[in-house]
Amino acid sequence: MKIFNKRSFKLLLLMTIIASLLSGCSSEVGTSSGQSPECVEKDTYIVGLDDTFAPMGFRDDNGNLVGFDIDLANEVAKRWGITFKFQPIDWSMKETELNTGNIDFIWNGYTITEERKEKVNFSEPYLEYSQLLVTLANSEFNSIEDMAGKVVSTQGESSAVDAAYAQPGLVESFKNGELVEFPTYNEVFNDLEAGRSDIVIADEVLARYYMKNKGEEKYKILEENLGLEEFGVGVRKEDPELLERLNNTLKDIKEDGTYDEIYSKWFSAN
Amino acid sequence: MNVFNMLIPMTIEGLRITIGVFLATLVISIPLSIIVAKLRMSKNKIIAKITGIYIYIMRGTPLLLQLMFIFFGFHYIPLIGFAFGRYQAIIIAFVLNYTAYLAEIFRGGIGSIDIGQFEACQVLSLSKRFTFMKVILPQVVKNVMPSIGNEVITLVKDTSLVYILGVADILKAAKSVSNTYSTFIPYIFVGIVYLLITAILTKLLDNFESKFSYYR
Repeated sequence: MKIFNKRSFKLLLLMTIIASLLSGCSSEVGTSSGQSPECVEKDTYIVGLDDTFAPMGFRDDNGNLVGFDIDLANEVAKRWGITFKFQPIDWSMKETELNTGNIDFIWNGYTITEERKEKVNFSEPYLEYSQLLVTLANSEFNSIEDMAGKVVSTQGESSAVDAAYAQPGLVESFKNGELVEFPTYNEVFNDLEAGRSDIVIADEVLARYYMKNKGEEKYKILEENLGLEEFGVGVRKEDPELLERLNNTLKDIKEDGTYDEIYSKWFSAN
Repeated sequence: MNVFNMLIPMTIEGLRITIGVFLATLVISIPLSIIVAKLRMSKNKIIAKITGIYIYIMRGTPLLLQLMFIFFGFHYIPLIGFAFGRYQAIIIAFVLNYTAYLAEIFRGGIGSIDIGQFEACQVLSLSKRFTFMKVILPQVVKNVMPSIGNEVITLVKDTSLVYILGVADILKAAKSVSNTYSTFIPYIFVGIVYLLITAILTKLLDNFESKFSYYR
C-alpha cells in the first residue's frame, strides 16, 4: 500500500480533473426534467425520435433531419415561438427516455396502442394508416389465411407486432408459431427479397416508402390488411398542460390547412 | 453516387464519436487499471474483496446493460436525484468496464514478475514506489502488451454500443443511410472503416511492442 503516496494521488487527481472536464463539456442534454408542472412554458422542448424512420423522421442527403413529423413538430414550435431540439434515441428505449426526463415528446410515427397508453399520454391522432401485408410480386399468397405455415417477418418493437398479436391465433399459425422480428424495416424487406421471409407485415407509410425505393413492381400488397391505426405524440403523464397545449396547436394546424400542405409534401394522394 | 454524398459526411461525424469514446476510455482506464490491479492484490483483505466484487460485476454483466443502467437506471434510484448526460454516461460505463478487464491483465502481469526481483530491490534498499514504477512496471508493460492490444481492438468495436443512448457512431451513420436509400452498401463501407482503424492500431501496437523488446 506504500505505492499510494503523493505521486499516485496526483495522478488520481489529474484523472478526476480529466473526467470532470469530459463531463463538463457534454452535459448539454439529459437535463430536461419536465417533472415539475411549473415549467410548462419552457423555451425549448426535446423531441425524441428514431432518425432512421423514413418518411416520418430521417436523414436527407446532407445528414439533416427531415420528414413529415419533423415538419409538423417545427410548425408547432413556430406557433409557440420557440424551437424544438431533436434528440435521436434508440427506439426500444423511447418510453424510458421520456419517463426519465431525457426527452419531452416521443414524436416519430408513434402508434397509439392500449399498452402504450399505460406508459405515456397520447396527443390526438394526427395520421391514420393501416398495417399492410406485403409479399413478392410473383408469390401466390393472397389472403390472411395464406399466412398459415409461412415465415412472416416485421420490425421488432413496432405496432405491426402488436397488430399481428391482436388477431387471435394468427401468430401461432405462422411457421414455428413465431413472428420473425428484425431491428428495422430495411432488414425486413431484405429478408423478403432474399426469399427467407414469405410475407411481411409493415406500416403503410413505411411500406410505401420502401417499395418506392426498391422498385414497386417487385412487390404485391395483399388486399386484406391488419386494421387501421393512428399515430400520436407521446407526452409524459406528469405533463398534462403540455399535452393540452400541443393538442390545441395540432387542431389549429389541421384547421387552417397547414397540415394538408405538410401532408402532400411527404405522401402521395392515395 | 448519391449514397456516398450522404454517407461520407455522416461517417466523419460518427468517427468523432467512435474515436472520442475510444481515446477517452483508453486514456482514463489504463492508468486507473494499474491502480485497481494493485488494490486487487492488496494485503488488506477488505480492499481486495471490494475490488474483486467490482471486477466481478463489470465482467459479469454486458456493457450494453451497464450503459443502460448508468444512463436510465440512476433515475430510478431514490435520493440520488441527478442523472448523467448521454456522453457522461457513455464515458463512465466504458471506463468502469474496461478498467476491470485491463486491471485483471495487469494483475496477471505483475504476478508474473519473479518474487526475487522484489527481494533484490529490497536488498538494494530501493523504495517500494521506485521498485514498482522503475523496475517492475516496465517489465509488466512489456509482458501484457499483446493482451492489452486485444482489449484495445475490442474497444474499437464496442464503441458501436453507444447506439442504445441515441448517440450516432459510424455504425449508426451507416444504418441511417442504409434506411434512407434502402441499400446495404453503407454497412460494407463502415466495415472497411473499422478494418482501417484496426490496421492502424495494429501497426501502432506492433511498433510499441518492438520498442519494448530490447532484449531480443
